[in-house]
Amino acid sequence: MDYQLSPLEIKMQQDLAAFCRAEIAPRAKMLDSSSRPEACKYMKENLKLLSQGGCLEAGHIGDVIDLVAVYLASEEIAKACPASFLSARASTFLCAGALRLFGTPDQKQRYIPELMKAERVGAFAYSEDQAGSDMAAITTVAHKDGKTWRLDGEKNIVVNAPIADVFLVLAYSEKDADAQSGMSIFVCDKGAKGLKIEEPVETMGLRGVPMAGISMNDCVATGILGGTPGKGYEQATRILTMGKVGIAALCVGIGNACTEISVKHSKERKAFGKPIGLYQDVGFRLADMFTINDLGRMLALRAAWAINSGEQEADIMAACAKLFASEAVTKIANWGMQIFAGHGYVAGSDIERLYRDAKFGEICEGTSELQRSLIASHELDKFLPR
Amino acid sequence: MTGDTQVRIGGLSMDFSLSQEQRMFRETVYRYGRDEIAPLCEEADLKGEFSFEIWRKLASFGILGLPFPEEFGGSAANILTCCLAGEALAHAGVDGGSLLAWGAHTYLCAHNIYAFGNEDQKRKYVPKLASGEWIGCMGLTEPGSGSDAASISTTAVKKGDRYILNGSKTFITNAPVADVFVVFANINKAMKHEGITAFIIEKDTPGLTTGKPFHKMGCKCSSTSEVFLADCEVPEENILGGEGKGWFIALSGVEWDRCTLLSPMLGAALNNLDSCARYANERQQFKRPIRSFQAIQHRIADMKVFVEAIRLAVYRVASAKDNGQMLNPLQAAVSKVYAGDRGFELASEAVQIFGGYGFMHEYPVERNFRDSKRAAIGGGTSDIMRMIVSRIMMM
Repeated sequence: MDYQLSPLEIKMQQDLAAFCRAEIAPRAKMLDSSSRPEACKYMKENLKLLSQGGCLEAGHIGDVIDLVAVYLASEEIAKACPASFLSARASTFLCAGALRLFGTPDQKQRYIPELMKAERVGAFAYSEDQAGSDMAAITTVAHKDGKTWRLDGEKNIVVNAPIADVFLVLAYSEKDADAQSGMSIFVCDKGAKGLKIEEPVETMGLRGVPMAGISMNDCVATGILGGTPGKGYEQATRILTMGKVGIAALCVGIGNACTEISVKHSKERKAFGKPIGLYQDVGFRLADMFTINDLGRMLALRAAWAINSGEQEADIMAACAKLFASEAVTKIANWGMQIFAGHGYVAGSDIERLYRDAKFGEICEGTSELQRSLIASHELDKFLPR
Repeated sequence: MTGDTQVRIGGLSMDFSLSQEQRMFRETVYRYGRDEIAPLCEEADLKGEFSFEIWRKLASFGILGLPFPEEFGGSAANILTCCLAGEALAHAGVDGGSLLAWGAHTYLCAHNIYAFGNEDQKRKYVPKLASGEWIGCMGLTEPGSGSDAASISTTAVKKGDRYILNGSKTFITNAPVADVFVVFANINKAMKHEGITAFIIEKDTPGLTTGKPFHKMGCKCSSTSEVFLADCEVPEENILGGEGKGWFIALSGVEWDRCTLLSPMLGAALNNLDSCARYANERQQFKRPIRSFQAIQHRIADMKVFVEAIRLAVYRVASAKDNGQMLNPLQAAVSKVYAGDRGFELASEAVQIFGGYGFMHEYPVERNFRDSKRAAIGGGTSDIMRMIVSRIMMM
């Protein structure tokens, strides 16, 4: 057992952190305050920058994803600019990662290299107006027309939709089958006939992320992920379970950023003749911020490691990490705001942006309520009466 | 999730796994605790006394000597393995008091002698402590000196080949039953913490007396009292580690406190999680098991998250110590403050799940709730942990 990162991992993390601090972080405020069209432009530039800085490829090796390495890179990107992380993750992990794990050789070759270089952008469209946590409730369907699959339905909030060149779309390929056997993930290219990208939506936080709904009206799909229909539910569950580690990284990254600026402010800001961080009400909050962020990171690394090693409880570990880190970061951002007080409440302050960004973790890709449900069932089922 | 198509990236990264041997050890200790010790704990806790029966059970299974080499009557277990023992025993239902007695005896007394003692001291004391024949305690805290440990006022004045100790200690775990006392006193108050010196004092030494055992809120099977030193004469060969080395020895206790002494808190949380999950399946209200209510489910989930988080925090301290790294004060504080504060909250939620039954002594959740408060107080309060972390952050 060894709870420390290897020297190689530490080096990688430090290098990526330095790059993100220099190149990505200075653009975070600009992305946040952009108009929607500007955000699309800047985000595409950011994805290119991240790729050039080696941030996107970390942990993605051949057909394998090393989640520990992915986590370490993710935390640094998210710390520098949470929106950029979310957008990069949708493209290189949810989309390219799914292709890496499940795609046919042809699909991999066709999309992955360009997605990793940010020459193209990917998106993963699964949730719908009435189907978020309850993934089986989606209504998007596909039917086969000769050799071609055609899609009908709407996806309401798709990260990267306004800038995406390729979409992975979850749909029922067998309308009346159950979710486990009747779903498939379809590959759709941007210009496909019948695919419409809606107007970008405005969000409370992570405003640099281009998001929009997409609608498919007899939309011609390029293919099925992996080539065989009926595997969509398993594939989506798999990538979203691994994805929980990514959301934990988003949260820990934001938590780290909040803590860092709060410490700085606590040293510089003086009240009644001494730095406010020397007052226990402030200093102890800083300690709490550190504590829960540190534990969130440990849980996330633990989950990443569990998934890497195929541990039996890996999905529960991932749920624990996502639940803990997301609830931790809303507390951390809230305490950070309290420490900055009036200076934080003004629009354009970093803590104000991070405060808005922080809320996303508790909501996205399975709310906290859903994670608790999942974890509780797992524990309760161990003691089912015979 | 089986991760079938995933492979481990060889040799690159941290390793959270237990070895097969460690897993078997944990399982063996768990079974022993469940079958042999846990049945004794309810009554012992009710009496509120140190249980020699439980002590002998711990001793005969080798728990008391775990970290010492075989030549000293131990089994040369590493620190993580010691944590697994504490975790497994508490998980099995062994009370927090008996395990606190173990912690104070094995780590704070016996291991201090083993680590800082000379050959004669080690030969004389460690084997008898490892076997449980002698019971050990450590006296640092005083009525006027708790978190501010460097301010102790017990004095040791050299007189010929002896030291004369005067002062009093309080909240000393195991003192009423102890045969061997490791006591901290200052040889020169002007030197502040650099004057603090540790002494080994045997039970019948004239001038050493112990007070009546306190009635405590929790951890009742550990016996706790004051220790009085009135012109207590200690031979100079009983100095532990040399004059002025006491502060260093006292600080080294912190390393044990943040892992082995916290491991029973992890175990108790596992015990609560199991018993709550079992109860929530069995207990019917409104014609359905209470597990079907979300308010119950969500408490169970929170308990599971706590267990996983505190396990990481405690094992991390243990594994760093096993690897010979210096104690990371931030990691140590995280482990202590989270076990203490969040652990107490969730022990309360466990009582809540059991409702009226949880309020009754027969249910271990009641005892675990009382015992769990210890982690936020003993060995440095949660407030002190926050003070340490915030000071480092403000540096």
